[in-house]
Amino acid sequence: MKAYTTKIEAATGKVIVADDMILTKEIPTSAGSKMLEGYVSLFEAEVLTRLAAAGYTLGGKADVGEFAIDLVGETSYRGALVVDGKLANATAQILEAGEAAAAVGLDVNGSVRRAAAQSGLISVKPTYGTVSRYGVIPVACSGETVSVTAPTVAECRDVLDAIAGHDDKDGTSHPETLCAKLKKGAEYAPVRRVALLKSMTEGIDADVKAAIDAACEGLKKNGVEVSVIDDSIIAASRVAWNILMSAELCNNVSRYDGVKYGYRAESFSGIDELYTNSRTEAFGELLKTAIIFGSETLSTENYMKVYDKALRTRRVISEAFAALFESYDAILMPACSTMAYTEAALKENKYLSYTENFYTAPASITGLPAVVFGGVQLVGAAFSENALMSVAEIMEKEGR
Amino acid sequence: MRYETVIGLEVHVELATKSKIFCSCSAHSYGAEPNEHVCPACCGMPGMLPIVNKRVVDYGMKAGLMLNCDINRTTTFDKKSYYYPDLPAAYQTTQWFAPVAVNGLVEIETSKGKKGIRIKQIHMEEDAGKLVHDIREDTTHVDFNRTSVPLIEIVSQPDLSSAEEVEAYLERLKTLLRYAKVAECEMAHGTMRCDVNLSIRPEGSSKLGVRTEMKNMNSIEAIKRAIEYEIARHIDALENGTEVLVQETRRWDDIKGKSFSMRTKETAGDYRYFPDPNVMPVVIDDAWFESIKASLPEFPEVKRERYITEYGLGEYDAEQITKSIALCECFEDAFAVCKSAKDAANWMISEVMSILNARKMTYDMLDLDGKKLGELILLVSDGKVGRANAKKILGAMFEDRDIEPAAYAEANGYVMSSDMGKVEEVVKAVLASDTKAVADYKGGKEKALMALFGRCMKELRGNCDPQALKTILVETIAKL
Amino acid sequence: MERDTLRRLEMLNQLSLTEAQKEDVISFFADREAELVTLEAIDTSETERMVHVMPIMTVVREDVVMQPFAREDLQRSAPETDEGYWCVPRVVE
Repeated sequence: MKAYTTKIEAATGKVIVADDMILTKEIPTSAGSKMLEGYVSLFEAEVLTRLAAAGYTLGGKADVGEFAIDLVGETSYRGALVVDGKLANATAQILEAGEAAAAVGLDVNGSVRRAAAQSGLISVKPTYGTVSRYGVIPVACSGETVSVTAPTVAECRDVLDAIAGHDDKDGTSHPETLCAKLKKGAEYAPVRRVALLKSMTEGIDADVKAAIDAACEGLKKNGVEVSVIDDSIIAASRVAWNILMSAELCNNVSRYDGVKYGYRAESFSGIDELYTNSRTEAFGELLKTAIIFGSETLSTENYMKVYDKALRTRRVISEAFAALFESYDAILMPACSTMAYTEAALKENKYLSYTENFYTAPASITGLPAVVFGGVQLVGAAFSENALMSVAEIMEKEGR
Repeated sequence: MRYETVIGLEVHVELATKSKIFCSCSAHSYGAEPNEHVCPACCGMPGMLPIVNKRVVDYGMKAGLMLNCDINRTTTFDKKSYYYPDLPAAYQTTQWFAPVAVNGLVEIETSKGKKGIRIKQIHMEEDAGKLVHDIREDTTHVDFNRTSVPLIEIVSQPDLSSAEEVEAYLERLKTLLRYAKVAECEMAHGTMRCDVNLSIRPEGSSKLGVRTEMKNMNSIEAIKRAIEYEIARHIDALENGTEVLVQETRRWDDIKGKSFSMRTKETAGDYRYFPDPNVMPVVIDDAWFESIKASLPEFPEVKRERYITEYGLGEYDAEQITKSIALCECFEDAFAVCKSAKDAANWMISEVMSILNARKMTYDMLDLDGKKLGELILLVSDGKVGRANAKKILGAMFEDRDIEPAAYAEANGYVMSSDMGKVEEVVKAVLASDTKAVADYKGGKEKALMALFGRCMKELRGNCDPQALKTILVETIAKL
Repeated sequence: MERDTLRRLEMLNQLSLTEAQKEDVISFFADREAELVTLEAIDTSETERMVHVMPIMTVVREDVVMQPFAREDLQRSAPETDEGYWCVPRVVE
């Protein structure tokens, strides 16, 4: 795997890189899947249209894991990106190399946030419904959002300012009055009290723990009150989100069948073999497993026990967050348990990078905004992006 | 043993909107080139999001209210998954958990009297595409023009018990939905389709028999034949053990007059419904709900009653006109202009409906400006145009909606002569040219007068009041 | 998970797994099954399901036709087309 799927060498000025889940008209969008190898969309994602209007130039597409469901990106059909023996993220590589000012990518399962944490970048996952998903390859539509990653908070803020806003082409888009809260210069209540979830600091690697400790120190130094609290409900996010994500994914990727576009098997006899051979040959192992799991959660037998239960749990989790926001302005948690996986570790447990979303699932399942900085994640109430980014900015200065 | 039949229907009706349910493609695929009305959304490409067409919800609500349903003021969409080449995204967006309308009742009339058929629900959904099998032998060609065209599915309770009741029910649905102008409901065009769920049981038994579902009937006649066939097949199986009945889907072959089991995969029926995260619940607020209620038409019975009591029409006339909303509207518009309900009804029944019948058009296909019909009626009653000529003008109005009756009568020489001097001249000339007929009449042959009358009318090109002509004719002969 | 359940799921999703993958999937299912206790421990008896995370108002569109995409573009990346149709192996009705 290379960082770029397509690099636009001529790009100059304020260069933006999009991950391969964001549809582009001139260059292919493959979602890291052999199924969509060379697929060129007939229309462009709304976020790219808005970025072009704000003066950004597309510098290329960054590879992703197949349909962006794994946390590391190693399931791209082009293979894993390995840098210095460690698995690396394509978008982060491009940003670290200074080849783009910022990146936009689809945060389905937390891979965007995880990559930022691992690379010391800033990432903003905006409130669900504030950035249009028009022109984004759909995977888990109830929670995924287009997120922004950049080396600095200021760059993130600029990009978010350009892409946030109501879009008539997205039926889950908030009205402009609410989207305006994400814009530059909008008023916000600053973060004064932060809760650290105890259950989320157990079982993490030393370097992750160190990042959490550093964040706590920095916050306190800047007059922010940090309280350690226990909460078992939010910790259930992972199990519920895996169910919802897999079910929606199963449904969303069922459209790829070798008929209308994309990969078609060489040999088949009859329509069912055409479908089965095309999908079997073009999809990777993790995706197949997720499809089958997702499908089963929706079966008549399991629907109430599994899928419906996950939907109800989602509300319980959202209410738990709402209750916390009565007393705290933001919740501090890691973005991952391990900064860098080795290929060997993932060979041993090939589902690790799908299911180890303990730290990213809470914001995914609730649609709440999250900002990653200094290797940690701060989750806030809906529309609190400016407050979260201002914390990241303070810590950014602290780090210098 | 005597048996009774238990039938429930699933009726799909294509809604008469301009655009599709979730994208802006044209919803009119009839006569279009293959895949002409298609966009990335309705051919299964990734990235476009469904945006609900408001008119689909309007029409769903209207249909629900016409069938006496309760309207779900918060109605939601769900995804139903299965693989078939006519379903490009491999899922259909439909309504599973909170359909737009529930708990309705439709009253039908059969030879045995009135009967209420309960409606379980009406849900809104997208249609599938069309498969073409006769272009190449080894290939099926796929056309997505019809994909995502809005449908409602009307699900009845198993309250029907004969082919006659099914026919009455379907006709009633057609009338009501056409009255509300939400759908064409033409089985021959595929804008109304019907699946029949049928079982039989010994009379008086409360236990349901094995149920089979029949598809692929293209007319009400075919539905009736299929029902009769299926009842006979079930009874034969029960009485003579000719076969073991199984719950299955069967395809009706109208040419062979038989139903055939459809081969089903073991995974069939596992549709894995779940709520569509991309479509927010549609919340029907009071203003929206009231505006739809206010836009509902009078029910056919109410209209009929009003025509009788308010307009003084006879029962037969009222019954005839209220068969179709198009007739009613034409009649009401004509009446508004000519102010004579009796004349308007007379013209509707003896002229307009007979022209439709002669042209083998349905009453709903009437495309005539009722106000202009009213003007035409006035021309006749004011003695400006003769009835025979007025019929010719009406024929022309069927061809061209824009014809103004008065101007057309003028241009084509259909205006009655008010110049009685001219009439007298014509009469004198005719009498002078046929002294034999005059003599015959004077000798007591009444028929001779009719012949003279006909010749005079012909000379006058019909543009004379018959009564006036007759008077002048008789008077002139008397003077001879 | 039973083997025939897995077979049914493969068919339902138009996939054909190798023997080794089947083992992996079965162990994946076992892990997920075990995790369900986490959800079962949460009382949701009084809780409505939450499909949409934000209370966004419905956006409906007016019934207006727009047809900006050409068929030849839509079929540009199609594996097989003929006379303006997408093509599949004959589906016997």
